[in-house]
Amino acid sequence: MNLHWKGQEHVAADKATTWAFINDPAQISKCLPDLLEATIHDAHSFDAIVQVGVGPVRGKFKFKITLDPQPDETTMNMKISGGGLGSVVDLLAGATVLANDDRTTTLDWEGTASMRGPVATVGGRVIDAQAERVISTTFGNVKSRLAGTAATSA
Amino acid sequence: MAMTTETTDTSAAPELQPRHAIGLSMKRKEDPRFIRGAGRYVDDITLPGMHYMALVHSPYPHAKINRIDKSAALALPGVKAVITGEDLVAAGLGWIPTFHGYDKQMVLAVGKALFQYQEVAGVIATSREIALDAAELVEVDYEPLDVLVDPFESMRDTLIIRNDRENKTNHIYHWEVGDRSKTDAALAASEVAIDEKIVFQRVHPAPLEPCGIVADMNGGTGRLTMYLTSQAPHAHRTVVSLVTGIPEDKIRIVSPDIGGGFGNKVPVYPGYVVATAASVILGFPVKWIETRTENLTTTGFARDYHMRVQIGASRAGKITALKVTTVADHGAFDAAADPTKYPAGLFGIVTGSYDFPTAFTELDAYFTNKAPGGVAYRCSFRVTEASYAIERGMDMLAQRLGIDPAEFRLLNFVKKAQFPYPSPLGFVYDSGDYHLTLQKALDQIGYQQLRAEQAEKRARGEYMGIGISTFTEAVGAGPNKLFDIMGIKMFDSAEIRIHPTGSGIVRTGARHQGQGHETTWAQIVAEELGLDPQNILVEEGDTDTAPYGLGTYASRSTPVAGGAIALAARKVREKAKKIAAHVLEASEDDIEWEDYKFKVSGVPGKTITMKEIAFAAYTNPSPGSEPGLEATFYYDPPNMTFPHGAYIAVVDVDAETGFVNVRRFLAIDDCGTVINPMIVEGQIHGGLTEGFAIAFMQEIRFDAGGNHLNTNFTEYLVPTSLETPHWETGKTCTPSPHHPIGAKGVGESPNVGSPAAFVNAVVDALAPLGVKHIEMPMTRAKVWHAIKDAQAQR
Repeated sequence: MNLHWKGQEHVAADKATTWAFINDPAQISKCLPDLLEATIHDAHSFDAIVQVGVGPVRGKFKFKITLDPQPDETTMNMKISGGGLGSVVDLLAGATVLANDDRTTTLDWEGTASMRGPVATVGGRVIDAQAERVISTTFGNVKSRLAGTAATSA
Repeated sequence: MAMTTETTDTSAAPELQPRHAIGLSMKRKEDPRFIRGAGRYVDDITLPGMHYMALVHSPYPHAKINRIDKSAALALPGVKAVITGEDLVAAGLGWIPTFHGYDKQMVLAVGKALFQYQEVAGVIATSREIALDAAELVEVDYEPLDVLVDPFESMRDTLIIRNDRENKTNHIYHWEVGDRSKTDAALAASEVAIDEKIVFQRVHPAPLEPCGIVADMNGGTGRLTMYLTSQAPHAHRTVVSLVTGIPEDKIRIVSPDIGGGFGNKVPVYPGYVVATAASVILGFPVKWIETRTENLTTTGFARDYHMRVQIGASRAGKITALKVTTVADHGAFDAAADPTKYPAGLFGIVTGSYDFPTAFTELDAYFTNKAPGGVAYRCSFRVTEASYAIERGMDMLAQRLGIDPAEFRLLNFVKKAQFPYPSPLGFVYDSGDYHLTLQKALDQIGYQQLRAEQAEKRARGEYMGIGISTFTEAVGAGPNKLFDIMGIKMFDSAEIRIHPTGSGIVRTGARHQGQGHETTWAQIVAEELGLDPQNILVEEGDTDTAPYGLGTYASRSTPVAGGAIALAARKVREKAKKIAAHVLEASEDDIEWEDYKFKVSGVPGKTITMKEIAFAAYTNPSPGSEPGLEATFYYDPPNMTFPHGAYIAVVDVDAETGFVNVRRFLAIDDCGTVINPMIVEGQIHGGLTEGFAIAFMQEIRFDAGGNHLNTNFTEYLVPTSLETPHWETGKTCTPSPHHPIGAKGVGESPNVGSPAAFVNAVVDALAPLGVKHIEMPMTRAKVWHAIKDAQAQR
């Protein structure tokens, strides 16, 4: 089962702050919803254990997350792979950071996931909605945490 | 409408009257323990020091396995071992032969996984829960590969699934039977013909008890005992011996009570092998019980035949030729447990009940990235697919000709006088009276009145349908000259011991899973020996005590093991006759068996019962003869048996919602001599319910990426009493002329015959809209779409 999502967040922080935030595994890991445990390996990779509940598929999923910042300091690619309970999720996500005139930043994001195992049997509309919720919540958390950072800085 | 019947004489229905034991509707002797929850299944077995196994499955339908890391699993307290495919290869157990004999199957994935949920590793631990948790900790580095889920894509060979095979192709085999050129010529010359594609979808028998094993290698005795969900314990023992090298006398297989088999418990599954290897290596008993998901995703599926059906006829409705061309999806291994010489099973029965002047069928089988299997689900080696093809095809042709489907069948049936009937595809049907059976069904259901009601409803814009299926099965595999599984001939056996007080025990090589053997076998023995069936114990499933046999599947128990029982009983009776002569002080030539006891010819009142003889066999044996009263018989049937039936379904279809209400369903079955009418009726009820499920609910589905989409009972549906229609039954009886008691077998008939009746009924209901065919399962959505598509084209 292959799914595709995209969205946009308007972040109340400048581009440099935003770019630095999404390059930081410690910060990004804290934005994951239902995070149980995060293990930072290096500047570009970390493991995350999250609680998953999609239909009858309920339990802990373990993901390996690799950040791949592009030299243009505008595009961040992420590879998220893992799973649990016999299921596998492979997610390729990308975020483009664009500076706005008002020292805010626009974060365009999109993701493509392929799922296999029991999680793929749950049903397209259920899994689609749930996965989109996870991704949009993640970037929503990026937005809110950055807003908090910006407010503190100010 | 007047029906054309050429041979029918309904007044001469040769139904047998109940005798001493055969023909009696005895309550099942095994039921009290099941009703009281006292059945003993594999999962009820607990042995001292027993450990538990859980399996790791591939989430990918096709993936290279780069690395398996056991360390985290092994570190979990309570985990004793993690076994991978490489471990089994090192032990010489990496691959096992399939029953088919043409292929082999990975036990655990080595190098790459070939279907989703394929077994990759086994984890053994002190509890089931720890084993399951540890299985989650086995880290497997997969490299996903492209996937083939469509056999029509597989045949292009752009991607080869099985790189372990010498021939780099996804094509497994080609099989054909019949006269191709004559059939092609006859079809070309036919005044009317159909040429239709019909799919029998992939389904799964889904027995309520999944598969399981307790493997117990006893280090003290050196004997391996396997408590196994096995429909064929002796065949499994031989396979285990051949694969492991353990001498067969050191292997005991015990198949305890089985909660449904339907062919699903015939193959040897990886879980059995890994648990056994674990017990041998680790030295303690190991239990493995499948989960529902494991059962649905990895064990023997059924059907998945894509058939092109061509039938020719004259304008008057006389059939001229049949040609069926099939593409079969076998999954990743050719594990269909067909007899060696019949790679497509008994699909040659596809001419059905009809007298085709010529016929031809051919089949090509392909690998796909799906679980292996193919012949399960209450089906005698592809007879269900064949019956569905011909019964749908005949209805399609009747519709094309504008002839009533009942009349069309009556016009083309094999006639009673033609038996034994040599079919154009190589079978010799033993007996039957197809006209009688269909006419009885038509009369019993009130066919003419139903057609009149249908006409009235159609005038009101309502959709009522009547569907007929008049199938013929080939069961009772089989004669040793033709049938073997991995070289083992398909005879069966019985051993009968009569105790001094006139009770007895019968053991056979069959293994029941709900068929009622404990009752019907006792009835056969009681009938042959004049004893009380309540006092005949039936024991099956223990290879240490039962005589060698090929087990229970494909409706073979009564035709084969049942024959062995009758003939073993007759051997007992022959010995009893000598004892009778001794006790009655008469010449053996003067001893006659009459009215279930021996008598001295011409001397009224000088009689002796079998119970009295049994006592004499141990207390007063005739001089020079062996004491005791027992016999063993290995029965090689001279032919298969050919049960048949006429089924009629009546449905109402709601055109707004696509809901199909099965208002009535009548099954007239002819399975020859009926041993226990109540048990036969129960078998028919069960099979019809499965046929209903196949027709309306069930399909093992995959997405384009090879994901198995219905892995539990919320997605793969089993009918409850709420959905199940009321079944009406009846019978005719044409005994098999070659079977010792004239029985033919019935277990699979309702599953074989009913799907076509359901589909024919729904299509008949929607015929005014121009609907020609609906593929199974006929879900509400599918029926609704068929209606809307037909309306849009009008």
